[in-house]
Amino acid sequence: MWILLVLTQNIAFAQSRSVTGKVVSQDGEGLPGVNILIVGTSSGTVSDAAGAYAIEVPEGYSKLKFSYIGYATEEVDISGRSRVDVMLIPDISELSEIVVIGYGEQKRETLTGSISQVKGRDIVKSPQPNVSSSLAGRFSGIIANNRAGEPGYDDSSYFIRGTATTGDKSVLVVIDGVPGQLGGLNRLNPNDIASISILKDASAAIYGSRAANGVILVTTKRGATGKPKIDYSFDLGLSSPTRLPDMADAPTYAAILNEIEYYNNPAGGLNQIYSEEEIRKFADGSDPLNYPNTDWAEATLKKAALQSRHNLSLTGGTDNVNYFVSLGALSQDGIYKKGITKFEQYSFRSNIDAVVTDHLDVSMGIAGRQEERQFPVYGAGDIFRSIYRAYPYVADVYPNGMYSGGIEGNNPVVMVTGIGGVDINPKQIFNGILKGRFKIPGVEGLSLDGFYAVDKSWNFTKKFAKPYVLHDYHPSDGTYTERLTGGSANRARLDESHNNQTLSTSNLKLNFERQLGAHHINSFVAIEQSKSHEENFNAWRLRYPTVETPELSQGGSAPEDKYNDGWSSTFTRRSYIGRVAYNFNEKYLAEVQMRIDGSSTFPRGNRYGYYPAVSAGWRLSEESWFQNVSFIDDLKIRASYGQLGNDAVPHFQYYNNYGFNSGYVIGGSAYPGINLIKLANEQITWEVAEKTDIGINALLFNGLSMEVIYFKQKRRDILETRNASIPNVTGIVNPYSAESLVPDENIGKVNNSGWEGTLGYKNAQGDFWYDVSGNITYAKSEVIFIDEAPSVLEHQKRTGRPIDTYLLYNVIGIFRSEDELDDYPHFAGAKPGDLIFEDYNKDGSLTADDMVRTEFSNLPQLTFGLNINVGWKNFDISALFAGQGRVRQYLLPESGTIGNFYSSWADNRWSPSNTNGSYPRVDTRASSSYSGGQYRNNFWLHDASFLRLKNLAIGYNVPESLISRWRISSLRFNLNAFNLFTLTKMKDFDPEGSHEGGHFYPQQRIANFGVNVQF
Amino acid sequence: MKTIKIFLYASLAGSLALSTGCDENFLDINATDRVSDASIVSDSTLFEGFVINRYMGIRLTEKEGEGTPPGFGRGFEYALWSSLTDESIYNNDDNTWVIQRGQLAPENLGIAGTLWGRSYRSIRECNYALKNIGAVVMSEARKNLLTAELKFIRAYRYHDLIRNYGEVVLLGDNVPNLGDDFLDPGFFQKSSIADAIEYVAGELDEAAAGLPLNNSSGWPLGRATKGAAMALKARLLLYAASPLYNAGSWVEAAQAAKDVMELGKYNLHGDYQSLFLDENSQEIIFERLYRVGTRHVCLEISNGPNGYGGWGGNTPLQNLVDAYEVVVDENTAVPFDWNNPDHVNNMYENRDPRFYSTILHNGAPYRGRQVETFIPGGADSRDGNDNWNTSKTGYYLRKFIDENLPIQNPWDVAGIQPWIYIRYGEVLLNYAEAQNEAAGPDETVYEAVNLIRDRAGMPDLPAGLTKEQMREAIRRERQVELAFEEHRFYDVRRWMIAMETENVPAYGIQIEKDGDTFTYTRKVAIDGRSFKEQHYWLPIPRSEIQSSNNQLQQNPKY
Repeated sequence: MWILLVLTQNIAFAQSRSVTGKVVSQDGEGLPGVNILIVGTSSGTVSDAAGAYAIEVPEGYSKLKFSYIGYATEEVDISGRSRVDVMLIPDISELSEIVVIGYGEQKRETLTGSISQVKGRDIVKSPQPNVSSSLAGRFSGIIANNRAGEPGYDDSSYFIRGTATTGDKSVLVVIDGVPGQLGGLNRLNPNDIASISILKDASAAIYGSRAANGVILVTTKRGATGKPKIDYSFDLGLSSPTRLPDMADAPTYAAILNEIEYYNNPAGGLNQIYSEEEIRKFADGSDPLNYPNTDWAEATLKKAALQSRHNLSLTGGTDNVNYFVSLGALSQDGIYKKGITKFEQYSFRSNIDAVVTDHLDVSMGIAGRQEERQFPVYGAGDIFRSIYRAYPYVADVYPNGMYSGGIEGNNPVVMVTGIGGVDINPKQIFNGILKGRFKIPGVEGLSLDGFYAVDKSWNFTKKFAKPYVLHDYHPSDGTYTERLTGGSANRARLDESHNNQTLSTSNLKLNFERQLGAHHINSFVAIEQSKSHEENFNAWRLRYPTVETPELSQGGSAPEDKYNDGWSSTFTRRSYIGRVAYNFNEKYLAEVQMRIDGSSTFPRGNRYGYYPAVSAGWRLSEESWFQNVSFIDDLKIRASYGQLGNDAVPHFQYYNNYGFNSGYVIGGSAYPGINLIKLANEQITWEVAEKTDIGINALLFNGLSMEVIYFKQKRRDILETRNASIPNVTGIVNPYSAESLVPDENIGKVNNSGWEGTLGYKNAQGDFWYDVSGNITYAKSEVIFIDEAPSVLEHQKRTGRPIDTYLLYNVIGIFRSEDELDDYPHFAGAKPGDLIFEDYNKDGSLTADDMVRTEFSNLPQLTFGLNINVGWKNFDISALFAGQGRVRQYLLPESGTIGNFYSSWADNRWSPSNTNGSYPRVDTRASSSYSGGQYRNNFWLHDASFLRLKNLAIGYNVPESLISRWRISSLRFNLNAFNLFTLTKMKDFDPEGSHEGGHFYPQQRIANFGVNVQF
Repeated sequence: MKTIKIFLYASLAGSLALSTGCDENFLDINATDRVSDASIVSDSTLFEGFVINRYMGIRLTEKEGEGTPPGFGRGFEYALWSSLTDESIYNNDDNTWVIQRGQLAPENLGIAGTLWGRSYRSIRECNYALKNIGAVVMSEARKNLLTAELKFIRAYRYHDLIRNYGEVVLLGDNVPNLGDDFLDPGFFQKSSIADAIEYVAGELDEAAAGLPLNNSSGWPLGRATKGAAMALKARLLLYAASPLYNAGSWVEAAQAAKDVMELGKYNLHGDYQSLFLDENSQEIIFERLYRVGTRHVCLEISNGPNGYGGWGGNTPLQNLVDAYEVVVDENTAVPFDWNNPDHVNNMYENRDPRFYSTILHNGAPYRGRQVETFIPGGADSRDGNDNWNTSKTGYYLRKFIDENLPIQNPWDVAGIQPWIYIRYGEVLLNYAEAQNEAAGPDETVYEAVNLIRDRAGMPDLPAGLTKEQMREAIRRERQVELAFEEHRFYDVRRWMIAMETENVPAYGIQIEKDGDTFTYTRKVAIDGRSFKEQHYWLPIPRSEIQSSNNQLQQNPKY
């Protein structure tokens, strides 16, 4: 009480004076919405539409700080001045950029952690509407791979500095302060994003138990004081696959079938199925009815699909209320010729900030999104599988216009259409945040803030599958027979599901920020808690009397025609958070933070984890003895260390779990039996990451910036399930592709270390300006402990190697002849034309002991990016190159009599007549053949390194003189592209793919035209 | 100083704010989709639910357990166990040819790698239930029933282990848990076959004593009965007495089978073909039932001829076709003979009726037309539709197939035939074999075999067979009567004739049509069929040997 009294007295005696002025840009135009802060306090104001401002400055304060996104922050001495006009210069150095950090903001020069930030204006340059696909290559430390390109399901997988866990690898996304906000990052409207920050080191520890894999912070745009500004943009794009495999044609495949039959029965010769005459007929197209030659990809896919985007936003504000309101619409078509695949998204966002009293600010953010997905009843994986499987010697459509049966009733040309029914999947997301900030009177720099956020999502699917008729042509008698397919039981079938999720998050935070002479303190303590809840409901109905009534109520009435199930889950968390950041003259920087996290995932006693972090920085360039080093404008060394956690494992693992499973029939019906699902681990608790980070930032020659970072992470107590070390005779046996019986245990240990480097240069000369920035990241993990069999062989161990490597036979060639076969060890059953596996242990025989663990996995150890921006007068061009190295992807296509071959294999196969082929002989089923899946080997392991032009954007701003009479303040035209070209050794597929059979909707190349107009 | 005070003040306010929100219950979440041990043991309904699901095992690899989890053995899967024998080959390989071609090895198990893990998991779970049943609130009578049932299930798992691996580890009543030392040598001590069978037979005696003779509303079909336990024991004792095992006596084996016969409960089903579609048949001693929603693979499409839209999965071999006798007249049947042009030119005439019930051949009536495997132009040959699915052997599976179930689009309709684990026909053959070995071909031997032949519509065995001739006759009878029922694989091993039967090429038939005449030529369906000495027993998976730190002894010669 005494302290309070003293403090209030201090304030009460303070005097103040008025300062006014105007903030302008280089060309003299007023800048609206510039933040103006009285240095040493937390009070300030914002410039109005014309750039003018007025502020009351208390006695004893003599500096104003002007900051504006995209411009260098200026600090101006106002001693003895009442009018202060300021010109802001576009930010070349980005040194004084304000960076969003966990629970706050910080100037880049006082940062002690490794944090990368990208602005929304860079993200909108990509025509790919999925935000996760706009991260790759932009800055060091992030590894993003676009695994597939289906509209609505084109998310990239992203990791920060690789991975250091065998458990859950997902990155925590925090949007406007809400950790794990429903709806996530990927489908945000890029036009709503102000900035994205990536917390790569211990600075993420402020997010505690979910931060071990790194944190991405997203802030959305807010209004600025000024007259209303309307911004409208329209984009129209064409997308097409980056690459598709060439498939064997009918004569080639017919010859292959003959070869397969020959290998199964050599006595029968090489024409057991098709004669040379028939193969000729496939080739010459003389008899398309009996000897077709179908290119299934061409039959199914169109050259390009349309996508379009509209975006409208309104920003502005008065002294008391600022607003940002936006509307967005997105539409993407599938690349199928007659397809019904479609993704549409509508979104709105309204961010309103209000000053209620001198002490109280309130803001409210509301965002909503409708994602409408429409698909045929077959998934993209099935459709592409059918395209690659379907035989080239089967017609897609007969000359009389009837669709063929394709491959076993799967005709991809028909599968993509609505003939077999429609699968709709609308999803709505609502995010609401109410924030308040209260400046506690009497204590300067002390404030209380908090927020309450509610997220909801509703995800509904309705899939109505209808039977339809395909036709089979019978060459023997020239007739067609019907092949009834689709639906279920020759009738229609309806599947419906609901998934509703709720997340509520509340936060109360007490802040203290103050400049005291040369000392600056910024600190807070907070409590946060959240509860997420999910409800699921599924039902299906069979045997619809008619296809005209696609409603759950209208299906068949027998008990076996109906089914329903559902489940729900709840997670709760509670956290206590604190941080003190201190700097002395912005020269010596230090920060201490701590989070105590409690999670409902773990049993009482093991619930709370402690996540401390410390960091420090030293700006050498601020030292007086440094001032004579003229070419260095800024030099900082910094280091951080902290502990972070990972708790992303299923609930209830601390006791034996039993669940109902009605699989066994007694009497006339399935009995509600019970299975043991999970054994108990009473000790289960977090996974802990210890992160160390050392960095140097420098700014040289007024334009050259560089950053070098060394990082190291030690992950321990990794939650993983034992499998290899528990013998099956104990009866503790994990099932295949289902929940593991063995619970997660805190046993794994992984180290991950590497470095990042960024080098940039910016320059402007007259009408011409450019900036170039390159970044490179090398991150390598090493497994220190992972569950392995006690007698695992040294060269097969996962321990000591990176995570997720492959265990494969080394291929050293192809057996060209019987003689070669006799000369080298091989497994029983090898024939000429099969791959030669290395006898790794040189014991003269091949066994599983000769398998070798690979050096690389499908997560690249090396990623790099190059960002070039060039402007001249009203033109600007930006190009983003992204690449990766030290990465491998296994891909063995599903081939044989089960389906067609890639041309790369078909044309280069070993065969009795082509013993120099570079691919092994063909076989009945690649997945179980000698050279294929039976002895998984590195012939099918591909180097997935690439360099690609991820993004290219060319813009033209129409000169103001031409448009001003239309009351248009800005008019801009864009041409931009995504994945424009790629250099890679991968032959058949996009190197970013991860499906080992290649069955996925291909990644897209997009060319886009856009126009943007502002009023 | 002031700074510190201010910060103190701030912290004070902070901790005040925190203390108000503290409510440890906020982090207590109760599961709503699972229960704990306490519920299982305290609620008799839940406990019984746990026991009943032990008839099923877990899925351990892909292409296994479609529809519902696997039961004992392999049962109805895409590739049947028969496709590891001279009964059939699986058209699309799917890791069966590796076994047909003699490449089976600890690191290369094909489809034969899952019985080890699945059986032990079930055994542990049975042990858990047996250990805790005492604490369950339940009548003593019901407890005794469930105890007997658990012992039966556990015994069946051991039966699966023994007949595949020979010497196995007996867990006793142990319920291993996560805290245990998994390198304890006790886990890897194999018992001799004799000891293991003695243990399992004893368990089956106890099960038989506790199980009811008949299914009833309180003990519905699908749950084991006294006869099931006794018949399983009879099978095990027959195995034990066989040359490969050499660990029992034919007399005991015969007696065990006779005990089942003397129950007087079971009879041969009137019609061989429909037996496999009738889950209520008097012949069935123990079976697994299926329903839509809890189905097995849809047999009609997975095994059907390509001309019907089927995938031609398990295609019978000529090797099996040749085993069906040719009926000369109502008292005489002779073996099929490739040197007899009458036989060859009339390949599908006058054969043992079970041939027609088991195998779809060229000309067989099926779904409104005749099967056409001939070339050129046969609808179910390589000249027909979907020819990638055509049979390499010239035959398709008929047994188990229900013509009332659709081939096309069967997913919510088919897959509902019962899988018969044990039927009376087998018990009769078990008796005949054991009795013939123990006492020679006496009247009871003839009687047992002829009951089977009568039902099939075959002439009785000729009188006056020697013991050896009778042995051959019984072996042939088992081959045709029990085809595709997971017997041949074990029979050729225990008789130790596999080195011959399994080293014969996998034959199919090529039928050329010229006008109205068919020419039949035997051809090799898949190259390289082979069987080696070590393959009498399955190899223990390499991963299992490794996780035992090489303490577990691999089967010989692998």
